[in-house]
Amino acid sequence: MSHAELPPPLPRPRLLAAAAATLALAVFVVLAFVLPAEYGRDPLGIGRLSGVARLWAPADVEVDARTASGPLAREYDQPYRSDVVEIPLGGFLAGADKSELEYKVRMRKGATLAYAWEVTGAADPRDFRFDQHGHTTPPPGRAMQVVTFRQGSGLRQQGALTAPFDGIQGWQFSNGGDGPVVVRLRLSGFYELIPAGQPGNEAGVVANVPAAQARPDVPDLLRSAP
Amino acid sequence: MSRREPQRRRSRFSLAAASAAGLAATALPAAAHEIGGSDAAFVAGAHGADPGPFLYLGAKHMVTGYDHLLFLVGVIFFLFRLRQIALYVSLFSVGHSITLLAGVFWNLHLDSRLVDAVIGLSVAYKAFDNLGGFRTLFGVQPDPRAAVLGFGLVHGFGLATKLQALDLDREGLLTNLVAFNVGVEIGQLLALSLILVAMTLWRRTAAFAPTAAGANILLMFAGFLLAGRQLAAYAYGGPA
Repeated sequence: MSHAELPPPLPRPRLLAAAAATLALAVFVVLAFVLPAEYGRDPLGIGRLSGVARLWAPADVEVDARTASGPLAREYDQPYRSDVVEIPLGGFLAGADKSELEYKVRMRKGATLAYAWEVTGAADPRDFRFDQHGHTTPPPGRAMQVVTFRQGSGLRQQGALTAPFDGIQGWQFSNGGDGPVVVRLRLSGFYELIPAGQPGNEAGVVANVPAAQARPDVPDLLRSAP
Repeated sequence: MSRREPQRRRSRFSLAAASAAGLAATALPAAAHEIGGSDAAFVAGAHGADPGPFLYLGAKHMVTGYDHLLFLVGVIFFLFRLRQIALYVSLFSVGHSITLLAGVFWNLHLDSRLVDAVIGLSVAYKAFDNLGGFRTLFGVQPDPRAAVLGFGLVHGFGLATKLQALDLDREGLLTNLVAFNVGVEIGQLLALSLILVAMTLWRRTAAFAPTAAGANILLMFAGFLLAGRQLAAYAYGGPA
């Protein structure tokens, strides 16, 4: 261990200057950058000028999916439609971009969707997880409304849901098994499909085509399919 | 919105626990001082004595807590003898062990953001002390051993507050706490040895004496910034 000499203490004026400057700089960084980025406050206006303020997003607003009131019979102006969406998913070893995805449809508040899906190719129902949920798609900086319908595992689900807000509703599917599977999702009701690449269909799933053509970005998913 | 089940969380956790590489990998993205994400889920779900994971969590908390680490840098900055370093680090350990164990066991807590703000200030205090600030400005030198012990108490209290926020099971609590605390010491030794190697190399260069003051000024700034960030969190809510 070396025995370096202690450097002499800072002279008084420099010490005062250093303490004041570091304190002032820290306060400035908090006011100018931390507050706008983390807490949506921008006392100096620098958050907006620098764009840092755009990092802030308000907390999600959870909507309760268990209770709702409304007429049991409803009529809609929107066109009625039906789609069959075959979604191939790779085994979990193929990576999350292949074995997990989100598929949602856009619905207006109060619109109804009837659905049924089942998974083929899965060995164990516990290996296939889904998260059925929906949310609004607000512009940056506005609070997102979120609803969770059901989270669980299994190879099929069928039912109907009513959109609690204008937004996107659907599923995150996650294949935890070794081999590839296909989710066959049948939809009907009052909704719109989401174009490839947009929120709710970032994986670019193509509806109403066979599974082998449904994910053009990852064409080889089903090469070892059952 | 993607959510994962607790089962997978747990298996992922033990995978990471199994390897030192995992420790480094999980260390990088973690924010200072948080017990979050899958670790929080694990702790909340733990029942009975489970020392292994708690030991790992304690070590991880220390290695990834950059506010603790900055304080240690400040403490050993001008300590050259290994005996001195051992003394100061032991004082720090005694301090935070007392408040960690007592705080969780008797349910004492304060808003964690306020505790973290004081921890930030402890970094600034030590840097100011290293610059000879108290002697120069006030003509007194506070006992550095007392300061390290005192701030050790505060750091431990911060840990205790974080752990309590996780809703610990009373069963096996003491075992888990002691394991966590031992983990904290192991993590501290790990971090300290790395800091010490870097500091020793730096001290041996001719550049040390002229850059030492600047480094402590930077350290003081970092301490003020940490404190300011926590005070902002306290004032406006949001992530601790």
